[in-house]
Amino acid sequence: MGAPVQNLASRAQKSSLAESSISTKRHNRHLFSNTMFRYYFLFSILALCLVLGLVIVFIGKTALLLFAHLSPLEFFFSFNWSPEEEAFGAAAFIVNTLSLTALTLLIAVPVSVGMAVLCAEIAPKWLKGFIRPVLDLLVGIPSIVYGYLGLTVLLPFLRRVSGEGLGDGLLAAALVLALMVLPTICRISDDAIIAVPRKYRDAAYALGSTRLQVIMRVVLPAANRGIISAIILGMTRAVGETMAVVMVIGNTPQLAKTLFTPSSVLTSNIVMQISNVEFDSTWNYALHMMAFLLLLISFVLILIIRILGRKRRDAA
Amino acid sequence: MKIFKKFTVTALTAVIAVTASFAGIAAAADSLKGKITVNGSTALLPLTLQAAKEFQKLHPKVKIAASGKGSVTGPQAVKKGIADIGACDWDASMDVPGFKAFEGQVANKVAVIPFATIVNKNVGVDNLTTEQLQGIFSGKITNWKDVGGSDANIVVVTRAFGSGTRVNYQAKALAGGDITKKEKNYKETGSSGDMKTAVATTPNAIGYIDLVYVSGGDIKAVKFNGVEATSDNVINGSYKIWAYGYYMTKGQPSGVTKEFIDYVQSKKFQQGSLKKLKFIPISAMKG
Amino acid sequence: MNFTRTRHSARSQRNNKLATIAFYTLGALVMLLIFWLLFTILSKGVPSLRPDFLIKQPEEMDAGGGIGPVLFNSFYILFISLLISIPIGVGAGIYMAEYAPDNKFTGALRICVESLSSVPSIVFGLLGLAIFAEYFNVGLTILGGGVSLALLNLPMLARVTEEAVRAVPGEIREAGYALGMTKFHVIRKVVLPVAMPAIVTGVCLVAGRAFGESAVIILTAGLSTSGEMWDFNLFSPGETLAVHLWYVQSEAIVEDARQIADKSAAVLVFVVLLINFIFRFPLWLGRRRGR
Repeated sequence: MGAPVQNLASRAQKSSLAESSISTKRHNRHLFSNTMFRYYFLFSILALCLVLGLVIVFIGKTALLLFAHLSPLEFFFSFNWSPEEEAFGAAAFIVNTLSLTALTLLIAVPVSVGMAVLCAEIAPKWLKGFIRPVLDLLVGIPSIVYGYLGLTVLLPFLRRVSGEGLGDGLLAAALVLALMVLPTICRISDDAIIAVPRKYRDAAYALGSTRLQVIMRVVLPAANRGIISAIILGMTRAVGETMAVVMVIGNTPQLAKTLFTPSSVLTSNIVMQISNVEFDSTWNYALHMMAFLLLLISFVLILIIRILGRKRRDAA
Repeated sequence: MKIFKKFTVTALTAVIAVTASFAGIAAAADSLKGKITVNGSTALLPLTLQAAKEFQKLHPKVKIAASGKGSVTGPQAVKKGIADIGACDWDASMDVPGFKAFEGQVANKVAVIPFATIVNKNVGVDNLTTEQLQGIFSGKITNWKDVGGSDANIVVVTRAFGSGTRVNYQAKALAGGDITKKEKNYKETGSSGDMKTAVATTPNAIGYIDLVYVSGGDIKAVKFNGVEATSDNVINGSYKIWAYGYYMTKGQPSGVTKEFIDYVQSKKFQQGSLKKLKFIPISAMKG
Repeated sequence: MNFTRTRHSARSQRNNKLATIAFYTLGALVMLLIFWLLFTILSKGVPSLRPDFLIKQPEEMDAGGGIGPVLFNSFYILFISLLISIPIGVGAGIYMAEYAPDNKFTGALRICVESLSSVPSIVFGLLGLAIFAEYFNVGLTILGGGVSLALLNLPMLARVTEEAVRAVPGEIREAGYALGMTKFHVIRKVVLPVAMPAIVTGVCLVAGRAFGESAVIILTAGLSTSGEMWDFNLFSPGETLAVHLWYVQSEAIVEDARQIADKSAAVLVFVVLLINFIFRFPLWLGRRRGR
């Protein structure tokens, strides 16, 4: 960590001994690259904003056409989604999306953060070097493979356990999703925990804390910011994941009253139907509005998590 | 933005021209060149890909890009001008339930696609009539014992509204009857493969699929009104659940597109690869 | 050492032991689950995997097709998308962490970028379709697929980089400034080397996800290949391995479709392992040397 700084210091010393014109030249070069890269970073962020704007405009443009054909009231509060009868009520999908996300996080967060703690704080070095790459592998499994395994392994298992005829529903989807977001949450919180300066831990140990106390009262609160971002990134992936969810959720536009009711969330409904709609139909507008809604929902969810995180940090 | 677009288009044309001229040196004998984009029905995709492969071998300067998403995407892409051929499981130049006709498009028949009602291997029933199927898919019949099977709840697996397979199955097998969603024991799948896997792994499940996919021991095709689902029964007219597959074009096809469709409709392809892919040649159907 | 053990500290000790055991159990369970998963995927595909499967052409009607051009396209499209998304994504991340003023607007922008990753990839596919097929009218191409994939990756990459850069302790930076270094020089020489492992983790996550992405590619690069093995033409249709897997699993009627799907899935997992290895190896080497 300290190496580059030291290096530079010694080099700087040397250059001061050399001719001053070289040092001015280098100084100018540094100033120049400083300005250039400042513009480059600015350009990057503008490019990112452009993409952001492009997506929002692209979805929003089509989505807003919906309200020329349909009252927002019906779209947001009606539970009846039957495109064949021109009824486009998205309330069931919205509620299902929220419950699926909550259920997924309920399963995934304790497990992933626990794994991250194990990786960063408890496990001996060789075990860390083993767990991390294995977790990364999980990211590489394409979502349709998860879906296929869900369909052929998880669903029959759930059917046996629950005695249901089908097994499709929120629980199956949440289990598959939890597994999919596990590496994302785990790896990023892992990095956040490692980044907590050593002296914090040393100070706590010096006061006679046990390892559990150090983890719970010092390390996790200090890594709070990074863990929250990890959860958010995992959550957005869960909210937006489609290919695996459509295979195990049942795709029936109705409110999920039980964990095993075949139902549908915003993403799965978009994916199932968007390939079967005409471009200039109310149906298509409604699907785009659902995509837009997805953006809004995750925006709000992120906001809530951030505020909660800040409150906890303030309290700590 | 406009200048940017102009610039990009020029750059693209330059690149294409350069690649084209390189290709030109390689194969000067064949005069046919161009690019064809095919989009639409996924059910016709294996056929399109095979035909494209053979056609590109005959005419190396022709490039064919194929993709598939859903039947209605085909004629739609043609309408928007982003595809030359729109593969569709129904005649999109006419109205079908749920979809209006696409004006000014020509439907070119390329194949006959038979469909089959499939059930999980644990289901004892091996024949279903139109009325029984209507009852099952509309949710009025919910137990296998009502149609001559054992006492078990029927699990209905269906395709999403708007799928070409569903449009045809509803029209032919259910005689226009409804497929209604149910609170339980009902699910929709996104593709033929998912349908097959879902029915194969769910006991007491019933679904429908292109006859081509019926293989393996976990699913079985049931008879429709006493007639077995086979190509021969489609050709002799006794099995009714089948439909034509179409290539939709904007007006009459011309140029490379016409050559390609001609190739697909040619006797060589229809009797050769198309039959091997287990579609039925269009010439086999009378009328 | 002769401390009297209060009841309180005894309880803490016991809890500590219990927690350690619980953490290890959790780890063991998760590892078991992952290995079972990998075993299920690999055991179906690997035994019948032959080298020629990796270079042969896909077949539509005869058994024994390969994944040659498809595998090539996967790497090609991934390369294009990373070429675009890494410089911009990392740059934007650094800007957010180092330059952006800490105000409401930056906060809102950050949340927007995060929400962007919850947009289903199929929507990015539709966007790519609108840009490339409708606006530029080039049809289904490798270039379109690569750029659309880059758009999908960008937000995630930017956020991971920002977090990585922010996690670098402030005092290291201050040491740099104290030596009279310019801001960029501090970033390049001090901040980036420290943040690099986390950034590489992010790139690996993104690359792995991009490699397995199918919805975007189906819409923008198509489901067919040009039929040649080494086709570097940016305007050829570019089916990738993940798309091929989807196709084989969903619609293909070749009799050995199931086996091809199993083998393709195994290859996919292998490649992701490889990507992780390639990206991390220099880092690991550097750390070795640094010690």
